[in-house]
Amino acid sequence: MSEGLVPQRVRGPLFVAGGAVLATVLVAGLALLLGGFDPGQAAAAMVRGTVGSPSALLSVTLVRAVPLILSGLAVAIAFRAGVWNIGAEGQLYAGAMAGVWVGLSAGGLPALLALPAALIASCVAGAVWALIPALMRTRLGVGEVITTILMNFVAIHLASYLVRGPLQESRGVFPQTDAIAEAARLGVLVPGTRLHWGFALAVLVALGASLFLSRTRAGFRLRAVGASPSAAQVAGGIDARRVWTGAFLSSGAVAGLAGGVEVAGVTYALYEGLSPGWGYTAIAVALLAGLSPLAVLVTGALFGALEGGASAMQREAGVPSAWVSFVQALVILSVLALDRLRRTGTTLALGRSGGDVAEASAEDDGSGGEIGERSGGA
Amino acid sequence: MTLADLTLFLEASVRLGVPLALAAMGEAVAERSGVINIGVEGSIISGALAGAMGALWLGGALPAVLVGALGGALVAGIFAAFAVGLGTDQIITGTAVTLGGLGLTGAIYQARFGATGTALTLPTLASVPVPGLSGLPVVGTALFDQAPTAYVAYALAPALWYFLFKTEWGLELRATGEDPEAASAAGVRVRWMRFWATVFGGALAGVAGAHLALAHAGTFAENMSAGRGFIAIAVVVLGRWNPPLVLAAALLFGAASALQFLMQALGLDLPYQLFLAFPYLLTLAALAGWVGRARAPSSLAMPWPKDES
Amino acid sequence: MTPPRVRMSGIVRRFGAVKALDGAALTLEAGEIHGVLGENGAGKTTLLNILAGLLSQDSGTLEIDGGEVVLSNPRDAWRRGIGMVHQHFKLVGALTVLENLSLGLRVEGGGFGLPYARVRRRVADLEDRTGLHVPLDRAVSDLSVGERQRVEILKALLRDPRVLVLDEPTAVLTPGEVASLFDLLRTLAADGTAVALVAHKLDEVLAVAHRVTVLRDGRTVFGGTVGEVEPEQLVRAMVGESPTRTEPGVRGRVQGEVVAALRKVGLQHGPGWRLSEISMEVERGRIVGIAGVEGNGQRELALLLAGRAKPDQGEAVVPARTGFIPQDRTHEGLIADFDLVENMGLAFHSGRGLMPWSSIRVRAEELRRDYAVRAPTVRTRAGALSGGNQQRLVVGRELAVARDLLVAENPTRGLDIAATRFVRDRLVDLVAAGRGVEPPGVVLISGDLDELLEVADRILVMVRGRLIPVPDHARTRDGIGALMLAGGS
Repeated sequence: MSEGLVPQRVRGPLFVAGGAVLATVLVAGLALLLGGFDPGQAAAAMVRGTVGSPSALLSVTLVRAVPLILSGLAVAIAFRAGVWNIGAEGQLYAGAMAGVWVGLSAGGLPALLALPAALIASCVAGAVWALIPALMRTRLGVGEVITTILMNFVAIHLASYLVRGPLQESRGVFPQTDAIAEAARLGVLVPGTRLHWGFALAVLVALGASLFLSRTRAGFRLRAVGASPSAAQVAGGIDARRVWTGAFLSSGAVAGLAGGVEVAGVTYALYEGLSPGWGYTAIAVALLAGLSPLAVLVTGALFGALEGGASAMQREAGVPSAWVSFVQALVILSVLALDRLRRTGTTLALGRSGGDVAEASAEDDGSGGEIGERSGGA
Repeated sequence: MTLADLTLFLEASVRLGVPLALAAMGEAVAERSGVINIGVEGSIISGALAGAMGALWLGGALPAVLVGALGGALVAGIFAAFAVGLGTDQIITGTAVTLGGLGLTGAIYQARFGATGTALTLPTLASVPVPGLSGLPVVGTALFDQAPTAYVAYALAPALWYFLFKTEWGLELRATGEDPEAASAAGVRVRWMRFWATVFGGALAGVAGAHLALAHAGTFAENMSAGRGFIAIAVVVLGRWNPPLVLAAALLFGAASALQFLMQALGLDLPYQLFLAFPYLLTLAALAGWVGRARAPSSLAMPWPKDES
Repeated sequence: MTPPRVRMSGIVRRFGAVKALDGAALTLEAGEIHGVLGENGAGKTTLLNILAGLLSQDSGTLEIDGGEVVLSNPRDAWRRGIGMVHQHFKLVGALTVLENLSLGLRVEGGGFGLPYARVRRRVADLEDRTGLHVPLDRAVSDLSVGERQRVEILKALLRDPRVLVLDEPTAVLTPGEVASLFDLLRTLAADGTAVALVAHKLDEVLAVAHRVTVLRDGRTVFGGTVGEVEPEQLVRAMVGESPTRTEPGVRGRVQGEVVAALRKVGLQHGPGWRLSEISMEVERGRIVGIAGVEGNGQRELALLLAGRAKPDQGEAVVPARTGFIPQDRTHEGLIADFDLVENMGLAFHSGRGLMPWSSIRVRAEELRRDYAVRAPTVRTRAGALSGGNQQRLVVGRELAVARDLLVAENPTRGLDIAATRFVRDRLVDLVAAGRGVEPPGVVLISGDLDELLEVADRILVMVRGRLIPVPDHARTRDGIGALMLAGGS
């Protein structure tokens, strides 16, 4: 891939993100109207179903947000390094498969051992799933876009095979596994809701990724290679292939964790269609966040609401659930278009000043920290 | 294995290979102009839905193929408006277009025909035997007793080769994909070229989708494109961006997908999911073994004009 | 009186906030060779790109044969008889010469045919007339730089230009090739073509041009007939008030230990010429100059010395603490999307643990001050800086880490006179003795012979992947030029 496909530092991310949300709402609303639905009713259903009550917020929106945040972080890490990992979906499945496998066989173990073992297995499986495209890119020069997508299909079919074959539940009726051992499950974070400790884990990973990118030497190398492989290698003397491989594996591990956490925290089992395409939604999550890990927490929750609200929309306003993918596509396209408009300087003056303010406030990793006191709006 | 099994296997290979071939040859043209359209999957599914609805409205399968082409071209046009017109990143734009195509077709289908998915029955694209050729032993029915869209694929392979390598337009298109800077300086309208190459590719993907709905299934189903767009992109690499080779590679992958029928006929009891995964694995292996010797257009996936500064 | 072939007046062109042209004018007569002079960044290329239809002006008029025209693309320009030979060749490497020459002609069958037979005939005619020979059936990527330029010229001539514009055509040619190019231009002018020749080397322009136009800061500041103007007049017009020459650095250098050594090094892969049998040493306190026409292996040599590449044969002993000023500063020297501090970080990231951002920031502040980098703050994006300021940033950073060796690849290319002076002085200062620290050794790779003659302690010439030492008696422009041609045979 060429350098700089996505800006390393997305300038004015708030302008782009805000504009994208606005554009999406407008287009999606218009499309609903054209389809003969009532956008107001749909929006009301969406709001009620996602943030209308504490239980909706905690049990629906945030629970849905967990795999989206984690896979969004996976995509953000890869994209920041210039690795076009479209394979978070497959890596997520790989993580879910490994997590379930460990969780099923962890019956005798104490929770202190079983849960970490299951989650680590998820990470390793996700990384292994990313290793093949990573090696194909760095050793053979085969672009990772196609290979990661192909690996997605392989993972989905493999999961389908497992739940109908070797790992099928003991009665042998349904295409799913038995429930994993209690010891390998994530506990409830907020009593009385379905929000599990996976959410805290996701926040932790986001914080870690943010600090890694802004403060550490390895994180700097990752950003440098992503921003300009040629300058990173020639001026920085950085081994770009190592960085790419590392970013690819980390991305795979985090995506795998998303699968493991979903299994350990929500489903307790593996079945076909476990992920409704989170690995692809993750691209929208990461892009809307301007590839900033902390912002992924926000955009992940937003998309969690979108997915959580889809069933309410279908129930109350009759809007087909497949609609959600279309809205996600609108978000990605609006982000891309607005980013282009801003970069080519054809945006309105309003956008430009808004962007500068946003840059000063929303930058979480611009080589930040003790030296990062940006003069706001300079 | 009997001769009938082999004939059945070859017939299935061609039937499964044709939509790949159509989409991949279209994608090859787009990629020769420097545009990698990951959204080809979106074009296929849109072509399938447009073809299905066209068949219902028009009552005939053959004109519905053209509606399918239009649907695929429209989606590719949206992709090109962003990726070529605005210069957004091709990979991400394509991913979004695929996502949106799958979502919108699913939503339209659910809204129009109900979410329960009572199978839609469509007028089908009947096989048209080619007089004489279809009587050839073994390969006759496989190659020459197929839907008309298959013959479109056969005809396009040499036609597109001629266009790319023997015409001035083809030369300009290839130059655009190799070095848009130089092509522009030589007077080629780079973005115009890329836009229409992409739309043409989308139209072929739309035909592929219509073929799926009308010749394969006789119905529309959500996500029925089933990743064929992505395989098509890999097939382009294996066919080295050269239409006749792309056709051959697509038929090879049709055969890989048809293996399950052969295995069933042979009475081998292997889990069918493995056969579903096989074409993807084969594609990965082929990419690993092949790409070292293939060379993509130099400016593939590079936006043009480049940013200043 | 017939109107001039081309008259451009009051041309203004902005790129974002920068005014590249601000009232430029140029008049070309039939049958003349017209030198267009100016410092880098004066707007020469922009002005001629407007004439060639590649760019459009924001305001100002363009007349051809007395009639005002609007050129919206290169094709428009050809229709009006304007052909351009670009500084960076606009050829498609993967296509053959014949395909490149045919590209965009659109003459037969409206897109369906191919004009190969016709192009072959025309090329044969042109070859008879001009002596330009090109291998029609080879891929452009296989050709030497000189051959590519001939293809580029033929491409323009195939379109029967009445105006031929050449942008810096001599930069990549050996002295002998320059002479034959000038012969060709004289032939074309004698046939009535108006030839515009852009150069920033004064003596070359004076050798061939009939008239000259000088641009400075986007304006036409001087015009005259060669023979009637003094070279000093032109220099003043080009650079404005006479440049303040800082004194060259301390000349008393002390040769120290050898810090880098290549022994019979060969490099088999990589773009351009591979290297063979390269042996050289670099001592502390010495500037070793590498001369040569671009593309003869200097790039690979630089990467080897800087530790960015490993030799396939022979032995390369290079220090770890090496600074490297790559030629392509915008793509290899710095990261446009990073600010000054982060770009400084490119030199301070090795190892594990946390980035020492606070000390890096201090260094960046120092660099901004000491190297007079014109940036509002150290948080300014490097991509927002002008070329000269970007180079100051790169030079400053690399000098800060070059404790044993500095490899500089054309460090002053594209800089104005003041910035060039500044960079050369820093190089000389770096190797000067008596700063209390041991000076590093410097390898200066440069396409500018005058630069090497000025600052290098010894010079080697790179020809086709081999390195030839320049003996003291040949340490002149002509002597080195002869070595470049001879190739050490």
